[in-house]
Amino acid sequence: MYDLSTVLDFDALQSVRPGSSILISGPAMSGKERLAYDVLADGARDGDGAVVVTTSDQAKTVVSDFRDLVPELEESQLGVIDCRGEGGTDSGSVDGAYVHQVSSPGDLTGIGIGITKALEGLHNSGRERGRLALVSLSTMLTYTDKKTVFKFCHVLSSRLDSAGYIGVFTIDSSAHDEQTIQVIKQAFDGLIELRDVETGGREARVLGLSGEPTAWKQL
Amino acid sequence: MSESDPPVVLIVEDEPDVAETYKLWLQAEYEVRMAQNGDEGLDLLDETVDVVLLDRMMPGLSGDEVLTRIRERDLGCRVAMVTAVEPDFDILEMGFDAYLSKPIRSEQLHNTVTNLLERSEYDSLLQAYYALVEKQATLEATKSTAELAESEQYDELTKEIQEMREGLSDTLGGIGDDDDFIATLRGLSNGEEN
Repeated sequence: MYDLSTVLDFDALQSVRPGSSILISGPAMSGKERLAYDVLADGARDGDGAVVVTTSDQAKTVVSDFRDLVPELEESQLGVIDCRGEGGTDSGSVDGAYVHQVSSPGDLTGIGIGITKALEGLHNSGRERGRLALVSLSTMLTYTDKKTVFKFCHVLSSRLDSAGYIGVFTIDSSAHDEQTIQVIKQAFDGLIELRDVETGGREARVLGLSGEPTAWKQL
Repeated sequence: MSESDPPVVLIVEDEPDVAETYKLWLQAEYEVRMAQNGDEGLDLLDETVDVVLLDRMMPGLSGDEVLTRIRERDLGCRVAMVTAVEPDFDILEMGFDAYLSKPIRSEQLHNTVTNLLERSEYDSLLQAYYALVEKQATLEATKSTAELAESEQYDELTKEIQEMREGLSDTLGGIGDDDDFIATLRGLSNGEEN
């Protein structure tokens, strides 16, 4: 089981089953990305493997940001799949992390190959637990339609399930119509919703992981 | 693939002895068609073919060229490329669904064909699942919670989605291995629907 309640204090996040995939949804600047990275970093501190699929930050930035979060990060504990399409299609090591470049956020096969290689590397270094973050599905939705993204999420969740990993995926709820969000949501076991509060600050709630949706809680 | 007819396997192979051996192994379970070269293979290919066993090194049209033409025709069949060397992951990007290294043993051939048929099944289930999910999303986006609670249609849809989700995890047991994972994603990117 994975305990995510140290990152976000909800009982529903205390024991998340291996193989679960969680969608983190919220408007722009609501801290979705940070939350996804925190989930990975928290695991990495305990020795879990970490895989980041990024459509916005370059791999080098991800690796150094991750090192700031987890100073004790070991060699081959982190794999980054950089889908911005600016670094060619090479793969190799960047500051002790495995990095795979994909031609575009719409290249699902390339992303799949990157994830496969990253998982293989982590497995070979003896890590049996791990967490994957994909930031963000919103970018992928601008490269391909919601049907394809839905199927991609489903297939990837299946792959994470057989690896015993958990996955967190971010989506910008203000960038898509309600139907798109409803569709994408269905590919996941659970949903963490973030929202800004008018009086300032931020709230979160958890849906789908255990029992009824939780109440909104100030962060 | 219909319930009653056996799946159709098309063997494209220029060595008659090798082709005949594959046929012997497969003919009890499948309807087998044989082509001696790429052109003949393309002639015999139609929407009834489920799996193509494609030799990569052939005189005339090469296996790679035949594969490109098959994908252009968007038939939705699965292609296993038969090669002399074991390809790396990257070669999966070329667009075949499985590879077999020569020489092939009977069990290996059977496993590959079964696996490819299962994957087609997985794709059509995923397609049907998506159609239901989209319907549900439309209802959820347009109706109030109270209206949804009253709706028999919504209730049935929810049950159907639940069943289909279980069916999906049974087929292929999720995504069996790395090759399945990558080939399934490749199918999605190409918009290759059933």
